Amino acid sequence: MKAFFRIFPLFAVALIPLSSSQAFAQAWVYAGTNLGQQSKIHLAAADFKPVGADPQTPVLKAVFDATLFNDLSNAGIFDMVSKSLAPQAMPGSPQEINLPQWAAPPANAGMVAFGALSVNNGRIIVYGWLDSTAGGSNPQVLGKQYNEEANQQMARTIAHRFADAIIQQLGGIAGIAETKIYFVSSRTGSKEIWVMDYDGENQHPVTHLGSISLYPRISPDNSRIAFESLDRDGWSVRMYSMDLGRMVSFPGGGVGGSNLDPSWTSDGYRIAFSSARTGISEIWVANGDGGNMHRVTSLPGPNVQPCWNPKTNAQIAFAGGRTGEPQIYIMDQDGSNIQRMTDSGYAVSPSWSPNGQLLTFSWNRAYGPGAPGGQDIYVFNIATMQWLQVTHGSGNNDYPTWSPDGRHIVFQRAYGHRTDIWSMLADGTQQQQLTHSGDNMEPDWSWK
Amino acid sequence: MEILLEGGEQLERELAPEPVVAPAAGSLLLHGVLAAVLVFYGVIGGLFHRQIWGNPGQGGAMQVNLVSSPLPLPNDQPVNQNVLSTETPSHAPAPPAPKATQKIDEKAIPILGRPQKPQKETVHRTPPHQPTPTRPNVVPYGEQAGSWMQRSIPQTGTNGPTTVNNGNFGTMFPWYVQQINDRMAQNWYKSSVDSSTPRGSRVYLTFTINRDGSVANGRIAQTSGSPTLDTTCMQALQRVGAFPPLPSAYNQSTLMVSYYCEY
Repeated sequence: MKAFFRIFPLFAVALIPLSSSQAFAQAWVYAGTNLGQQSKIHLAAADFKPVGADPQTPVLKAVFDATLFNDLSNAGIFDMVSKSLAPQAMPGSPQEINLPQWAAPPANAGMVAFGALSVNNGRIIVYGWLDSTAGGSNPQVLGKQYNEEANQQMARTIAHRFADAIIQQLGGIAGIAETKIYFVSSRTGSKEIWVMDYDGENQHPVTHLGSISLYPRISPDNSRIAFESLDRDGWSVRMYSMDLGRMVSFPGGGVGGSNLDPSWTSDGYRIAFSSARTGISEIWVANGDGGNMHRVTSLPGPNVQPCWNPKTNAQIAFAGGRTGEPQIYIMDQDGSNIQRMTDSGYAVSPSWSPNGQLLTFSWNRAYGPGAPGGQDIYVFNIATMQWLQVTHGSGNNDYPTWSPDGRHIVFQRAYGHRTDIWSMLADGTQQQQLTHSGDNMEPDWSWK
Repeated sequence: MEILLEGGEQLERELAPEPVVAPAAGSLLLHGVLAAVLVFYGVIGGLFHRQIWGNPGQGGAMQVNLVSSPLPLPNDQPVNQNVLSTETPSHAPAPPAPKATQKIDEKAIPILGRPQKPQKETVHRTPPHQPTPTRPNVVPYGEQAGSWMQRSIPQTGTNGPTTVNNGNFGTMFPWYVQQINDRMAQNWYKSSVDSSTPRGSRVYLTFTINRDGSVANGRIAQTSGSPTLDTTCMQALQRVGAFPPLPSAYNQSTLMVSYYCEY
């Protein structure tokens, strides 16, 4: 009997691990590879249901529907169900939608974005849902609600926000629908810095300096634009504050009369630019307020157009002319470990992708394969030294920059007598012209 | 007198030569035995191979691909050697290569007894001189879609239902299970797996998804026998990082997932 009481606690302790393994009824899911995965999600964007009798509702709803559909098609990760194939229904809430109708042919939608839009007292109110048609008792993936001032710009902004939420949920990377593109336009008579939404809407000027202002680069926190401007002292790197709405000083940015091509690090602390104050263009680095300005390269030949590696902020890509024609080089931020990327031809305007793995630049090669002979945009994998030509046969393409999601490139195309801003997916598909009047060049995609 | 005699004996003893032969022989014998033991140990020990390097079992050459991060775009075209992208990739297959004409082997010994087919007399005529068209130095696009740029690795395999255990999460939120499948499949680099791995071998991972989508306790539950397959599957989980947040209608705090990678 005594032995029992001695041994029983040990026995009880031994039983504990056996009992705790299934103590809580956790839900288990079993999944695996080779289980029928489609690479592009079939997404249907239904027209939103108008609610209420406000006269502004139809106008704003049309803008909203068009913007939402465009944003989702531009994302590059969806196979959008064409509106002509989608059911004509306008479900305004999850109770109203008939999901099997959307999943059936000809729509074959895997996901449906729908909702209701109403205007009330000068406010636009949008309820948006994203439902999956894959069955199950809880098809809702997203539910969002927006309330903003009732005008077309805010209708577009709400559509951008809803599209971003869908892209983030289904694509894993934050969407770019609310980002801006800064560019140079000569529409007002002089070359000034302009800004537009990423889809080409809402184009308006930022600077009004009256001289020549080029190469805008917005800071990562959207507070300042660094650009190169010509004044009586020559070319200098100057700063415009978006918060204050006026120019702010960048001391040392005008020394020597030939300071060009600013580029921000992804943390916004430092700027690299090219300066010829020592006689020939070299790459210089300074803090965002102009402090600690120092030279980084001492190579022969002009070295221009620096671009930081946004992933590490420890490398700079630039165009160097020491072999005669400009070639793309990358180096560490202190000027060491210079590696040459292009082997011949005329290569300029490097831009580093957000994941730090790819470069895009403008290159005029003289040999195949590909379609050589023109100034075209190339995407270059730094690790494998392989390149992909993404534009061909359409004018002179230059000044490419990456979007913050790493999926899109915006660039300048000079075709015929016009120079315009174009954007495309990074594999060369879905090329679209964003500007249609005046001469527009040297775009820069904002960081967020 | 006795002292002299004793001294003489002592002197005799001292003058007598030391015994050399016996100790030397003994020493030689001992050294010989030691040497023999060492040699014996080396020879016999060499016959039994023990694990000094690496893992037991066969080693295989591993095909290493430089896997840099692919473009975050879906891949609906196969990866190939194309360096020129097209704006409207075609799904049509490339035109077939021209068939090689059959050559007549003049050295072949004719088969006796078979009636010979009369050979047509071909009049040898010099063809009219035509300028050979220069082959354009461009890759004709539209004939070969896709490029070398990796996006997400295309998955081959049969469709199949996802099995679901108690809690019927899969029947309530099939779209979430699909997202797990999609994200894991996009980040699993099948080409890094040793090609000698038998087809159909599976490695089972288990991990927990928290409410905010973060992953915890990722581990290999059942190995496939191929260390490269195991490693690449775990790396896929690490590359995914985090999944979307759990559906709001699901009222538990975590979700346990068992995922297999099949070669």
